[in-house]
Amino acid sequence: MVSVAFINPLSDEGEIIVRELGDFGRVLSDNDDLMQIVTGSRSQEISDDSFIPRNYIDLAIKRIEWFVKKKNDRNFDNNQYEFLFNTEILKFDVIAFYLLCQAVGVKYGPNSRESRVMVESQGKLIEYRLEKLPKNIREELVTNILNSLISSTHIKWTFFEDLISTKKLKLQDLILDQGEIILDKDDFLERFSHKIHGRKPGKMYEALIGDRIKELVMIKMVMQNTENYILKVGEKSDREIEPNPILLELADKISDVLATSVRSYGIGGSYSGSVKASALNPKAFPPCVKKVMEGMKSGGRNDAIIMFLTPFISYARLYPSVFSENITKQISDIDPSLLIVQNEVLPLIFGAAERCTPPLFEDQPQDKVNLNAKLGFGMHQNPDLKNEGETIWYTPMSCEKVKIHLPSLCKPDENCKKIGNPLSYYNMMIWKVKKEAKTESATDNTE
Amino acid sequence: MVKIEYLTPASPEERKRYYREEWDIKQVPDFIAHSIQEREFGFDHVGRGPNDRYKVFRTPDLLKRFLKVRTPFAAYCSVAFYDKPRRRDKWTKAELVFDVDAKDIPIRTCECESVCEICLNEAKEIVCGIIDTLKEDLGLNNIHIVYSGRGYHARVLDDDVTHINSDVRSQIVKYLVGAEVPENEYSLNYEKVSYEHFVIPFGYPNVFTERVKYSILHLNEHSNLDEVNKKLLKDVLKNRHLIEDNNWGLFKNKIGPLRYKKVVNGIASMNMSLVDAKVSIDLKRILRLPSSLHSMVSMKCTEVKNIETFDPFKEAVPKFVYERKE
Ligand code: SF4
Ligand SMILES: [Zn+2]
Repeated sequence: MVSVAFINPLSDEGEIIVRELGDFGRVLSDNDDLMQIVTGSRSQEISDDSFIPRNYIDLAIKRIEWFVKKKNDRNFDNNQYEFLFNTEILKFDVIAFYLLCQAVGVKYGPNSRESRVMVESQGKLIEYRLEKLPKNIREELVTNILNSLISSTHIKWTFFEDLISTKKLKLQDLILDQGEIILDKDDFLERFSHKIHGRKPGKMYEALIGDRIKELVMIKMVMQNTENYILKVGEKSDREIEPNPILLELADKISDVLATSVRSYGIGGSYSGSVKASALNPKAFPPCVKKVMEGMKSGGRNDAIIMFLTPFISYARLYPSVFSENITKQISDIDPSLLIVQNEVLPLIFGAAERCTPPLFEDQPQDKVNLNAKLGFGMHQNPDLKNEGETIWYTPMSCEKVKIHLPSLCKPDENCKKIGNPLSYYNMMIWKVKKEAKTESATDNTE
Repeated sequence: MVKIEYLTPASPEERKRYYREEWDIKQVPDFIAHSIQEREFGFDHVGRGPNDRYKVFRTPDLLKRFLKVRTPFAAYCSVAFYDKPRRRDKWTKAELVFDVDAKDIPIRTCECESVCEICLNEAKEIVCGIIDTLKEDLGLNNIHIVYSGRGYHARVLDDDVTHINSDVRSQIVKYLVGAEVPENEYSLNYEKVSYEHFVIPFGYPNVFTERVKYSILHLNEHSNLDEVNKKLLKDVLKNRHLIEDNNWGLFKNKIGPLRYKKVVNGIASMNMSLVDAKVSIDLKRILRLPSSLHSMVSMKCTEVKNIETFDPFKEAVPKFVYERKE
């Protein structure tokens, strides 16, 4: 039987393992048991020493590395991390999990990139671990964990408020009836069988809910609990005087792993890695931006140009990696003389404003002031270095916000499924567009 | 009918007559009157927006005196509850609201400039659909409907939802209006099974089916759907009687599966404008006070007791309108 803690380290079983560890100092010393399990894992690559974690801290780092590389590194080799899927690693894995959460909580808190990566990596790890288990064990495990996380069979959807709020779960993915989430098969059949015509209700249950939704709910709940745990650690450490130096060191190593991934793998998978600022390529604009660029024919032109387009164009041109770097900047940090703003950014925005019916800015000088404010240059007519910082440089609206504030703009295409912000769309596409252009010019010289 | 005389602005004298002779504090619904001291009020005295905000009334009587004396152009009250409403401080909760404004419905069968009987009726149908889903799917029951003068507000006061944040509210909006096309392929033990939304008679796919049905039945040859060209629109209109009888499979076949996908995609993205989502996610919004006068159109903002039978042109027209000279 696979332990529940292999999937949910925050379970009672997991806590027992942590209590058994005893002396904290041991996490840094070489651990033969651990190395033995690692090297004995099926298909584990052992040709290089660096593939083998020697102690708890190493293992913790490997956990994060696996996730980051898997996402970003095109040469990623899962065989270097097979030990993560070996159930014998349980005890070590649980400790590594707690070390990571505590390091991140103490040093960065719950709203950091490090915390996000930790939570996401736990989710992904669970997914892959489950996949490698035989079907019956997997089902039993999921049911067990769910039962311990959810106490009653009648769960109101509001129970998942956190998950919905943080978009880990979409309301649409759940089957709701009279305010309750339907997870159980008998319950499903009782409620819906009589309504279903021409299809087998049992099969419909398996497809729409079945193990898929149960697993989804379970994974997302563990992720949410991980996030909550990091939050708790963070709050507690605010009250403590000296955080443990081992944790602080681990925290630094975690951000090293993230930084290396941004530097060396760039925009491979996460699309937002180290995209460099460069001339804009309108071909790579998302549908919503293309639409505003054509000029707004009806209502909302003000918001579309000032709130939506201005931040998008300025960040796409000057600081496309804002979300992955997560460092607040001013325009002059990148464009010290404001030449790019004057020659490339503003002309595009003004062009779009002129194409509106009626054109924006013509009759309302106040709008120009508002535009300037969004670039961080305060409430003035024109961008001027001496006013910079009076307002903040607005970051681009997320797709979510666009859908709410400017619903007519969002006409998602296939690529939109992979992103949550028009800027990420651009970063992803600019790379694709370039590649396409290259292959085109290589194969077709006649034009 | 003297239809032209409806829906025109009320003069200051008419406002005065309305508040002094016709209006009664009892018309303020209990769900507001009972929590009056926790809410913020706002007023528009001259018709330029609610600039007079942060008003608080400890009792309905004080509100009554204010309205009778000031006879404002418009009166509003917060969906939010505060411990200290005068400073909008110590927010405790907020109603969950959905605002369907007839003049902003993305597809209307009328071609009026602002609102008319036809689009008001369409707003009512949309609100009814939303309320059904609120009850049947989300299990919410403490719902009040208000005729706003130009459309409808659905105001939910169930304890389950009054504390939720904007992110959750925005997800609810998307669910209710059918803003996303549901999956149609599901994996089941290594095989893929496909269920179009219309064969699933429950959950979100069912909500989506209802909204698409409504939209398709209200399209006309001038409607504008993304990615749907004139020819496709024409085919939709020609075959939509099939949907009226719920023959979705046939309809999809007639249109062709790829083109069907275009149609539902177009409708999904349009659906987001069925309600004003900005209102729903705003935790401190002020909404027109039921019983007050909508002076722009000379209609009463009224709580609707029975939405099925409610007719704004009977129940929301102030007396002075009938006495206007032609
Ligand atoms: S999904 Fe996002 S990027 Fe795509 S059109 Fe909508 S707002 Fe733009
Ligand atoms: Zn109309």
